[in-house]
Amino acid sequence: MNRLVITVLGIVAAVGGSALVFIGINKLFDLTEERYPQYTAIAGGLLSGGVFALLWGNRMIDSPVLVTVIAIVIGAALGYALGIFEPSTQRLAVGIGGGAALGLLLGIFAQGPTTDGETEITGILPSIDPVGIIVGILIGAGLGFLIWVLTGRKADRLLSRMALGLALGWLLGAWMAAELTGSRAEVLIVAVILGGLVGAAVGGRTHPDRVRRADISLGSRKYIFLTPALVFVGATLVIPLLRTIWLGFLTGNPNDLRWTGLSNYADIFSDPGIISFGKAGDIIGSRLFWVAVLLLVIGTVVGRVLGRRVGTGFSVNSGSLSLLGGGAILFGFAVFTAVRGTIPNNLWWIFSVIIFAVSLGLAVAVLADRARGENIAKSLIFLPMAISFVGASVIWRLIYVARPPQDPQTGVFNSLWIMFGEWSNSTTAKTIVASVLGLIIVALLYLAWRGWQAEANAVAAGSIAIILVLGWLAYRFLGPGLGGFEINEATGDVVAKPVLFIQEAPWNNFWLMVVFIWIQTGFAMVIFSAAIKAVPEDLLEAARIDGATESQTFWRVTVPQIFPTIGVVVTTLIVQTLKIFDIPKVMTNGNFDTQVLANEMWERAFTQLNFGLGSAVAVVLFVAVLPVMAINIRRMQRERLG
Amino acid sequence: MTTTATKTTEGVLTARRPLGKRIYRFLRSIPTWFLWILVILWTVPTFSLFVNSFRTRDAQRASGFWNALSDNANGYDFPTLDNYRDVLFPDVGAGVGNALLNSASIAIVATIIPIAIAAFAAYAFAWIDFRGREWLFIATVALLAVPSQVALIPLLSAYSNGVAWTIPVLEKTVTLFPDMDLSGEIPSVWLTHTGFAMPFAIFLLHNYIAGLPKDLFESAAIDGADHFKVFWRLVLPLSVPVLAAFAIFQFLWTWNDYLIALTMIGGNRANLPGTIVVASLAGEFGAREHLLTAGAFVITIGPLIVFFLLQRFFVRGITAGSVKG
Repeated sequence: MNRLVITVLGIVAAVGGSALVFIGINKLFDLTEERYPQYTAIAGGLLSGGVFALLWGNRMIDSPVLVTVIAIVIGAALGYALGIFEPSTQRLAVGIGGGAALGLLLGIFAQGPTTDGETEITGILPSIDPVGIIVGILIGAGLGFLIWVLTGRKADRLLSRMALGLALGWLLGAWMAAELTGSRAEVLIVAVILGGLVGAAVGGRTHPDRVRRADISLGSRKYIFLTPALVFVGATLVIPLLRTIWLGFLTGNPNDLRWTGLSNYADIFSDPGIISFGKAGDIIGSRLFWVAVLLLVIGTVVGRVLGRRVGTGFSVNSGSLSLLGGGAILFGFAVFTAVRGTIPNNLWWIFSVIIFAVSLGLAVAVLADRARGENIAKSLIFLPMAISFVGASVIWRLIYVARPPQDPQTGVFNSLWIMFGEWSNSTTAKTIVASVLGLIIVALLYLAWRGWQAEANAVAAGSIAIILVLGWLAYRFLGPGLGGFEINEATGDVVAKPVLFIQEAPWNNFWLMVVFIWIQTGFAMVIFSAAIKAVPEDLLEAARIDGATESQTFWRVTVPQIFPTIGVVVTTLIVQTLKIFDIPKVMTNGNFDTQVLANEMWERAFTQLNFGLGSAVAVVLFVAVLPVMAINIRRMQRERLG
Repeated sequence: MTTTATKTTEGVLTARRPLGKRIYRFLRSIPTWFLWILVILWTVPTFSLFVNSFRTRDAQRASGFWNALSDNANGYDFPTLDNYRDVLFPDVGAGVGNALLNSASIAIVATIIPIAIAAFAAYAFAWIDFRGREWLFIATVALLAVPSQVALIPLLSAYSNGVAWTIPVLEKTVTLFPDMDLSGEIPSVWLTHTGFAMPFAIFLLHNYIAGLPKDLFESAAIDGADHFKVFWRLVLPLSVPVLAAFAIFQFLWTWNDYLIALTMIGGNRANLPGTIVVASLAGEFGAREHLLTAGAFVITIGPLIVFFLLQRFFVRGITAGSVKG
């Protein structure tokens, strides 16, 4: 019930409230040109009412409702009078009088020292201190003169600017700097003078003519339209960001933060859980690493040879790229399984998500383009974008689940994996699989040969790339065996051996990334698809007429055309992946070596209540997105400023 | 994409050997299969969740979702709605029903507020001339890349304790934001989402509003319409498609959000949205694991419906601005 009320209230406040305020303020400034006195009256009432309401909110005045109402009335009357009177002496007199009246009101009702239940309230009665006042007046005079100089040195504004500066100085010197132990008489003097000075600042301005009033009406709009958004941006992003940077230099519990310099950052980068090169040497001994190097070498050779055939230095096509890409992926994985910790994990996430989401998204966008069932295919690939990370994590837990070896597996992955294991231990299955693979390899060899003959280099190199993978599979099947099994040494029985996808480090990291890739491929695909459809048809036509194959058209025309879009997708994915939180939180909560920076930050700040260290981790995240921000800013500058 | 390539190579091959041509063509169609294999791979996970949510706890533990059709033969009830009953109603089980109301409360309001506010700002950035407009716009939109983590700690302490500032030399404390006990309450999530949504919302709406034809604004100005009238009568009605796109985007974002609600609402169980309640079910291994499927499906079905009905707008929201057409 309560929730329903609060929701309805929220909706009403959001729609009605913001619309009313917005329309109201616009209407108010519509008055300036034709009905100036009404405008000044309403503005005066709202301003003085607002100031007194603020004082009330800060417990600085007694009997708040009455005082606020009187303040609104005086403010409105003052505003109306200033809207009518044109001679400057009259305006000054009215301004000082009205301001002094408001000051008197404040002085009479200013909160004195009292107690409210347990809490003591000091009140705001200042004890007059000549030194403070003199310093205040001097500062105020300087300030007023400075404002006057800065706002264009118009002679008719000197009086009003000086009064404004003096009012500020008086407020500082006589009130805010004073001991709050004064008497009612003292507060009356201080408040009346303050009010008079503010009134003089308002009344000291000349009555605006039609042109100025039109300027006010027009000039107000930018503030009216922008202020709400900028207030939200400032209050929830900019100021908290600055505060977080500051908190990163502090340490201690949230109620007692002390300056500690850079020690939070020193802690982060010396924590072996966050980054550790301890096992980096293992990389030389890892098979993954050498396979990666091999693939990179073959890819380079293929690219060079094909490039020489077509007369360019290096041929970019699906064959050379799939070899180089495969090599790069394995190389990256070799590095990230050796260098462990939160930061390498984050980098690994970025690496995998970009490579897989971009390449799969691009592949789907290209393959689906104008294919039969394009919309269905794209919808289904895109669908995970609508699912929450929490929902996706639950879904993939079902896929990854590992049951005890003797039970039937209920997860798709382990089921398949154990099935492979059974196959590679049964002679019949082994023979069938090996012959099927062999047939495919032969067919691919033939394809490669034909492709080579027909100068379709991409076909040739692509086939060879697939042959390498299938050949390796066939070897595993026939040789050491493939799949989830182990052989009981005592009895010689074959026992199922499920993979603990979520628990076994370091590869569990990759299985978590798969969830995110599953989601983000749709994002990449949608954007690439739009970009591909935006490639001018005549460009493609021209390439075809010149005799380019479809593959050449793709790599030489389409890809360069959509290159800026690839940049946008990559930068967006970097940002999205860098702050990945939900998936590790739900699936492992950072256990089993799957910690990432965002979860590290959350744990430090909100579980251990170490705001300093949590903020420092957040700042590390922020620094990591700075290059992306710089790229985005450059791009927008080019687009908007030319 | 295969048409031309097959044509050229076909030309060479046909002359020689029809069988080779057929094999060649068959192999060249592999990429199209690859598309549909990917589509199936992408759909299986969601489908398996859907199927499992209708199976009993024991059936879920005994076999994979592909065995669902033989459940009845194995003595399990299929399809059953028990999981849904247990997960939705608080007296029996997890109380996700209550959490769904919270999700709705968060998502609806946190969608409406940013639309209005961002539309004002986008209009100002597009059609009101003032000094420093370009820079202010770039600075605002650049914040798009800022990870929300950097704002969480100060925001949470502002919601729970208010914001007070002690003026350095004078040693007087001024309250900038009153302590309204917002932490643990839904409005704190509204405010946070609104602020975080601003850069993207302004960016998206601005792209569209700035692209409206200039003549429109000139003729309106000649007719004596001021900014407010132009915005209200002209820009808002014309921007409905992009407002819808942003609304859908923001609705899915806030409905699916986990981090912000977890931080701002935290321990206040009564106010937690669906994502957190379901995630906490995932945290407790064993006992109520079978409810996870139904729970996850319940929190997913809303977004899925929105997605299927309004996919066009959603796609527009995502692609706008990233592709120069």
